[in-house]
Amino acid sequence: MNNRRVSVWLAALVLTSAVAAPVALQAQQETPVIGIADARTREAVSRELDRAASRGLPVRALVAKAQEGVTKQAAGERIRAAVTSLARRLEQARDLLAPSPSDAEMIAGADALAVGVPAPMLRQIRAAYPEGQSVAMPLDVLTELVARGVPASNALQQITQLMRRGATPTHIAGLGASVQSDVAAGLTPDAALEVRARGVMSLLPSPAAAAALAPRGGRP
Amino acid sequence: MICRRAAAFGFALGAAVALAAPLARAQRQPELRVEGGVASITQRGFSQEEAALLAILWRPTSETLGFVTSANLTYAQDSLAAAQGVAAVDVPWKWNQHLRTEGGVAGASFSLRSTGRGGNGNAFVRQHVVTSNYGAWFGAGAGGTNRDGVFARSFTADIGLWQRWGPLYVSGVATRLQSADWPLLLASGITRELDDLVFSLRDAQLTAQLRYGPHDIAVTYTTRVGTAGTEASFDALTWTGTLQVADRVAFVGAAGRQLADPLRGLPQADVITGSVRVSLGPKLLPVLERSMIARASIEPEPLGGGILEVRVFANEALEIIIAGDFSDWRPIRMEREAGVWVARVRLTTGKYRVAVQVDGGDWRAPRNLARVRDDFGGEAGLVVIP
Repeated sequence: MNNRRVSVWLAALVLTSAVAAPVALQAQQETPVIGIADARTREAVSRELDRAASRGLPVRALVAKAQEGVTKQAAGERIRAAVTSLARRLEQARDLLAPSPSDAEMIAGADALAVGVPAPMLRQIRAAYPEGQSVAMPLDVLTELVARGVPASNALQQITQLMRRGATPTHIAGLGASVQSDVAAGLTPDAALEVRARGVMSLLPSPAAAAALAPRGGRP
Repeated sequence: MICRRAAAFGFALGAAVALAAPLARAQRQPELRVEGGVASITQRGFSQEEAALLAILWRPTSETLGFVTSANLTYAQDSLAAAQGVAAVDVPWKWNQHLRTEGGVAGASFSLRSTGRGGNGNAFVRQHVVTSNYGAWFGAGAGGTNRDGVFARSFTADIGLWQRWGPLYVSGVATRLQSADWPLLLASGITRELDDLVFSLRDAQLTAQLRYGPHDIAVTYTTRVGTAGTEASFDALTWTGTLQVADRVAFVGAAGRQLADPLRGLPQADVITGSVRVSLGPKLLPVLERSMIARASIEPEPLGGGILEVRVFANEALEIIIAGDFSDWRPIRMEREAGVWVARVRLTTGKYRVAVQVDGGDWRAPRNLARVRDDFGGEAGLVVIP
């Protein structure tokens, strides 16, 4: 009996090591050397990256943020604060986009929070697409529209309406690009969004047809 | 003779401050400019005088705060000699990107036909709330002037708003001013009686500035009402303009009425000035730098993704760098093509942040993209590739 227990423990240990080793290795490989001159900041950022990796957050976004600070010759303290703040937003986005957001979705969610999109709106965006379908692009377009000055509630309403009617990420990305060209032509961002969203909507199936086409188990 | 010595001393002091301050801080790409010219100055109650102007300005660049020092000298034989040194600092708040605090000190030595000889010291502080296209501030200042052995204090409080519509900038300021500098107020016609030893004034000022590329023109209207110690009222209109003629050379002109400024000890005068501004430091004149226009365009590809093209209209002597998510924020030097700086990047579907830097200055978003703050005191443009 004792031997059996020992064998089970050993097997579990080997299995855990086999699973954990590549994850640890991957995390190590994903943490490149960042050219931060100040050793204390470099160590602090390194610790933040390790912490993020252990929590399943996309480390590459944090590395990019640190690199951005280095390129912009920001003070070490500011780089550390920027990386920590992004890690916090990524974590918040991960929770809001549960159950299993991809790296791209977490990054898109964190960027949306950074421009002032209220946290509950991330949940609403997630709910507008079936589970398993990425909401990264709708979040990206929402972020861009809010950054242009469109009220977050208006932008969310137009985007989720499109999502519920079966608009693909490409449709939604096209909406963002069209709004951008309208704004360049002199239209206000809000008006451009309304006009363009109607245009995209006319290409989509009716709500009833969209519901019938939606995969089973999908959210309304 | 003593006054001339005092003026020379004041100017030397200002210049020393201007030149020494940058040495105290390790900086990159500072701006040093010298301005020289002539002025026609009519002090109230006196005939018109021709004067020479000389100014030096040093503005080091810093990631965390703005710092500027300048020294000015105005001289007209037997009539006017004034030297002034200024140092000001502008500190953005770490925990709120919309707030910044500005403060500064100035010192002057003068000998004026209308108000006598002496010196002035003053300081001010202002709190700004700023967004990309509009802002507001409130502030206060205090100054002391010693004029022919008589010392007088002055205080100001001001509140202002500004708004920018493309090339047009408009601002409005309301100022409350209290001063005991009766020789200045008497010489400026603000009061004829000396019943009171403290005078109160209220100013309302409106400024409109129009920029066209590196050139600009501005008009300022000020109306002043005396509320204590005097009931006199004044209006003043001033025009100023900058014409950039080469990378490092600009003509600067101004004409109009300068109302008495008790805080700085300056008398009322009608002034016409014309000067040449020359940039001597490694950085070109800021008016030229401001003329940078960056635009981005996307050429979508049939199967998704596209080519992002960023074009920067700026002088060829400048160094233009682009960076973004697409380069993991590693800087890329832009190429010069047919008189325009260009960068082209093939991108897959997704959202990218992009920013352009001109000659070591602030990182800016291409003008036609959605703009976001970058956590480092600058900005970036957002682009979504379908």
